[in-house]
Amino acid sequence: MNTDPDVVWELFAGHYFMFAFLASLGVLQVAVSNVGTRGLWLTPHAGMTRWLGIAFVLTGIAVFFLQPLWVDGPWAAGSVEADSLTRSWGKASWSELAGARNVNDIHGGLDGIKQAMWFSLGAIAAFAVSAVVGTLSVNIFASAENSGDGDQTDSEANGLAGLESRSYIENLPGSFANFRADIGGVWRSGLVKADRWSLMNVLLGRGGASE
Amino acid sequence: MNSIDANIVIWLNALSGNVKLFDDLIRVVASDYLMPMVFSLAMFGLWFSGKNPAERVRYQLTMLVGISALSISNVVVWLFNITWDRPRPFVEHGDQLNLLFYPPTDPSFPANPVAVGFATATAAWTINRKFGWWMFAAAAVYGCSRLYAGVFYPSDIIGGAIVGVAVYGFTSYLRRFLEPLITGFVRLIRGLSAA
Repeated sequence: MNTDPDVVWELFAGHYFMFAFLASLGVLQVAVSNVGTRGLWLTPHAGMTRWLGIAFVLTGIAVFFLQPLWVDGPWAAGSVEADSLTRSWGKASWSELAGARNVNDIHGGLDGIKQAMWFSLGAIAAFAVSAVVGTLSVNIFASAENSGDGDQTDSEANGLAGLESRSYIENLPGSFANFRADIGGVWRSGLVKADRWSLMNVLLGRGGASE
Repeated sequence: MNSIDANIVIWLNALSGNVKLFDDLIRVVASDYLMPMVFSLAMFGLWFSGKNPAERVRYQLTMLVGISALSISNVVVWLFNITWDRPRPFVEHGDQLNLLFYPPTDPSFPANPVAVGFATATAAWTINRKFGWWMFAAAAVYGCSRLYAGVFYPSDIIGGAIVGVAVYGFTSYLRRFLEPLITGFVRLIRGLSAA
């Protein structure tokens, strides 16, 4: 039997990261296929991308909640109903599967802060994978079907709008250049429009000075 | 009030043990992982769901407020917890309850998971009414599953819902004091082609 909370945390963290990654990848694919952000699609077709996204979400949920069947953890058959500290280490049975993940965070489950951290990492990884695969997909698809047609993209669009017609790698330099060009104006107009008691106006000594 | 609260949780929990499949479903829904993941995914998905630049900025600013509200509601629940250490139903009525969940050690009021769910749902509701109602329903189901499992009283659920909605309102108001930092942050993310 092994109920050392640190060992349980490690186990849960790895499983939860995979859950967050797969589910985030799925939701991202559904969202970008609905609004036409082609540069993040995993496939060249919106419908296929959407169904792939749904499949990723369902796979993430299934893998996370079914894993106790084949991975050793604090959910051995016959012990799931016990207090989560006194559970036996091993694989869960089908009949106990639903409660296998219900481990108190003081006994090795993940508290809200750890979940937020691992979810953020999973979501960033999902975006990165979409950007890389989307870049390959856009370039391969464009070179196969549109070679010699010239640049038909909207050069003004940046950020996610630019990804509707460009790959992530093509879009990044323009987006960042726009950010550098615009941020000064955004900051100054933001300070003018912001409440006179806004944090930055107070820090810059402008609190109460407007009007 | 306390007896009504106790009677409701005892009556609802007494339904458990009849249909194992339903109890198992409640165990999964009540877990610390499924519904919080749903709320997080909703925020993440809405970030990318704007159909034009203006809508996208509105969604993203609202999502940032929603994520902040989610964090602040945890703090507000903690403040309640250190003020009033309300025992859990299974502590006060353990002989009448069939506990379907691990026995939490923190105070019962207000329900932290419900506060988080309602804060997120309110954020979603402000930008898309239909989707927001679905999120409210998910947050309510999450609360009811914990009630059925015997770890919260109904008043904990109602208290959590009020905390979640109120904290979202407060956080929206707070946003104006953090401008132009928040808009600048969204522009930075857009510079990285992720907004």
